[in-house]
Amino acid sequence: MKRWIGVILAVVLAGVAVVAILLGGQENKGQELALVRGVIGSEKKPFFDDPRVKAAFAAHGLRVEVDTAGSRQIVTDVDLSRYAFAFPSSVPAAERIKRDRKATTTFSPFYSPMAVATFEPIAALLTKAGVLRDSGKGHQTLDIKKYLELVAKGTRWDQIPGNSAYPARKRVLLTTTDIRTSNSAAMYLSVIGYVANGDDVISSDAQIAEVAPMVAPAVLDQGFAESTSEASFDDYLALGAGKTPMLVVYEAQYLAHVFAGDGAIKPGMRLVYPSPTVLSKHTLVPLSGHGTRVGELLTKDPKLLALAAAYGFRTTDPQAFADLVAKTKAPAAADLVDVVEPPTYERLDKLITAIDAARP
Amino acid sequence: MRRDPGTALRCALASVLLLAAAACAPGDEVADGPDVLRVLAGSEVKDLEPLLRRAEQETGVKVRLTYTGTLDGAEQVASGRAAGRVDATWFSSNRYLSLIDGAQAKLSTQTKTMVSPVVLGLKPAKAAELGWNGRPVSWADIAAAAEDGRFSFGMANPASSNSGFSALVGVAAALSDADGALSAEQVAAVTPKLKEFFSAQRLTAGSSGWLADAYARDPSVDGMVNYESVLLGLRERVTLIYPSDGVVSADYPLTLLASAPEEKKALYGKLAAWLRTPDVQKEIMTGTHRRPIVPGVAPGAEFGSAQLIELPFPNRRSTADELITTYLNQVRVPSSATFVLDTSGSMKGERIEALRTALVALTGPDTSASGAFTRFLNRESVTMIPFDDRPDAPVPFTVPDRDPEPVLAQIKAFAEQLDANGGTAIYDSLRAAYDRPVTPGRYSSIVLMTDGENTDGSDYAAFESHYRSLPEEQRRTPTFVVLFGESDVEEMRQVAQLTGGAVFDARSTSLSSAFKEIRGYQ
Repeated sequence: MKRWIGVILAVVLAGVAVVAILLGGQENKGQELALVRGVIGSEKKPFFDDPRVKAAFAAHGLRVEVDTAGSRQIVTDVDLSRYAFAFPSSVPAAERIKRDRKATTTFSPFYSPMAVATFEPIAALLTKAGVLRDSGKGHQTLDIKKYLELVAKGTRWDQIPGNSAYPARKRVLLTTTDIRTSNSAAMYLSVIGYVANGDDVISSDAQIAEVAPMVAPAVLDQGFAESTSEASFDDYLALGAGKTPMLVVYEAQYLAHVFAGDGAIKPGMRLVYPSPTVLSKHTLVPLSGHGTRVGELLTKDPKLLALAAAYGFRTTDPQAFADLVAKTKAPAAADLVDVVEPPTYERLDKLITAIDAARP
Repeated sequence: MRRDPGTALRCALASVLLLAAAACAPGDEVADGPDVLRVLAGSEVKDLEPLLRRAEQETGVKVRLTYTGTLDGAEQVASGRAAGRVDATWFSSNRYLSLIDGAQAKLSTQTKTMVSPVVLGLKPAKAAELGWNGRPVSWADIAAAAEDGRFSFGMANPASSNSGFSALVGVAAALSDADGALSAEQVAAVTPKLKEFFSAQRLTAGSSGWLADAYARDPSVDGMVNYESVLLGLRERVTLIYPSDGVVSADYPLTLLASAPEEKKALYGKLAAWLRTPDVQKEIMTGTHRRPIVPGVAPGAEFGSAQLIELPFPNRRSTADELITTYLNQVRVPSSATFVLDTSGSMKGERIEALRTALVALTGPDTSASGAFTRFLNRESVTMIPFDDRPDAPVPFTVPDRDPEPVLAQIKAFAEQLDANGGTAIYDSLRAAYDRPVTPGRYSSIVLMTDGENTDGSDYAAFESHYRSLPEEQRRTPTFVVLFGESDVEEMRQVAQLTGGAVFDARSTSLSSAFKEIRGYQ
């Protein structure tokens, strides 16, 4: 009898152990994931929507959901009380949010230089017009000073001599997003503002008053501009040069497709770099404890860092990015030297307001 | 594709006050619920209803569409009236909406779902006669042929339909000397050229779908400016002319409202992602003739291989409004509108008051953009035929080409003295309207508003045989009927169908909103 009890006890104990092992293995599946909602620049949405990214957060007990908005909208229009973090695409916007919301810290897990997505026939015309040249370092650069001269002259595509490839009666103008809402346009404005300001960061109201009328045509004459960088990149990829002959993009938007090898980047498409360019430092401002956790994970979690590189972002681990470039023969610039700083949020904001007032 | 303008219009009207919105949902009625995404949509996306039923099966998201005009919908969103009532919008374009001050703050994520340029479709024989097959044709070429009277076309009203608005922007951008975004001064400068182009317009419409129906009814019209998707879907094939200097395209962004609650955001995310899957994009392309927006899906052969230049779109609302106002008051073929109005005894009290209010609203008291777009226009002739047991003598007004205020004041005074008494002679009165001579060079239409059944004079059958005996130019005038009170719905529908008009239901909304909606068709 005693022996039987011993056997039963052993079986029961074994069963308990099995159950315990099973439960232990389900650690994060069994418990409810904490929902963390953030508002981000649209160019980072494909990253956050990726199931691998979702799984990486889930492994740490988080379910991250995001809404998109322009970086300037995140500062001015969005009701941030609904969110655990804000993740605009630039340091100036993040600094402003940090101050407004009295956040104590920010995270800058990745960055991306501003670039220009265009097409081979357009690139050839720009070369002919003296705007595009070889950097000697494996990528082409778009000379912003020369470009602004072209804009000032009001040159149309069909006025470039020998142009049979793109005889549009439209002005030669880079397509941007709406400066009033979107960070990528604001970053571009930093670049052309720097050049128009005699190769110097705009740092006074007097300079804004002087520069605004010079750069306004480059921004406003293109007409209606999309409010997000994903929307205009959609147009570039799907509708081609007829709609968007050359588009200001985040380098990452273009490279994400090259790295993924998903066929979106077709043979005639080209990625070139403005000279000077500016770095868009995607900066997360935590608005709650969970938001801080998301910032930490994006900065430190090796899986998330690798995934960020796969989405074309440059992270604290340059090797991951370089490996992907080498593997896919991506047209990424290895060495960008001509990089300028954006003005402070308030100055950039004033410049945007001044340009907006000149709207035709 | 079968269209039911009556249904679309009733839904559009219902949406103005957002009453009876459930009646406009695809398939069975759906109330709001945890799996329901409420979407304010342009009537252009109505042809996607079958696809949305598949979306429900595959994603579990039930989409409840409420239809409205693009510009009207834009004002609903920008003013905040749409917040809380709908979770998302699905218009053919967000461009006009984005130009309204403060509208951006009302919008959250936007997802483009498909693309269709607005182009010219011509009967193949006419395209061949003009020598427009297989060679580049510019808007200037088209305008020159229009001015010489070598073809005629239809186009939707730019104030109520995105296709009309896109076409107007495209034509103005191409015909002006502007090489960038239009400014208000350039609108003024291009007006004479616009007049040349639009002198060939013979059909107008409040929506792109109704325009296609009206075009199919009228063999004397050579073509229309409409979405490529509508033109490719026509039963009678047309030759598509893609102007070489550029077009304006619709990109149908499914747009989440910033006010949407969390659970609706999740539904939105699912639906938006599903719509962009390659399989669904292909189905949209083959089923509705719209171009895919996803790079992985190759556009079909029906779209041709020519590069489409996209023309710059204005980036200021005042320029867009100026363009529409110029078109309506100076450029378009002027309208000749006859109002056959029931002032019988049953209209006493609130009803006659509602009629007075609805007419006065068209004389310009509302100075907002939509008010300016729906008022009686410069150069328009307006004839009032009130009736009870017989029609009163017609009272004509002609709004001059400038300083419209004195005549608008006369129309207002006329409307305010309308009084209700006597019987209801619907068909004698409608006949009186049709017996009036048609002025050449004007776009004629009749509005028939009655709140009850015919009690005096001839009946519907007599009217129908009289109508059929009229000369062709008189028969071309459509009658837009307004259902009100105890209207005989079936007979009213017959009148609309017989004359190529449409039915507007003011019973669930108001006479004012019905009249405003009809203005898009005059």
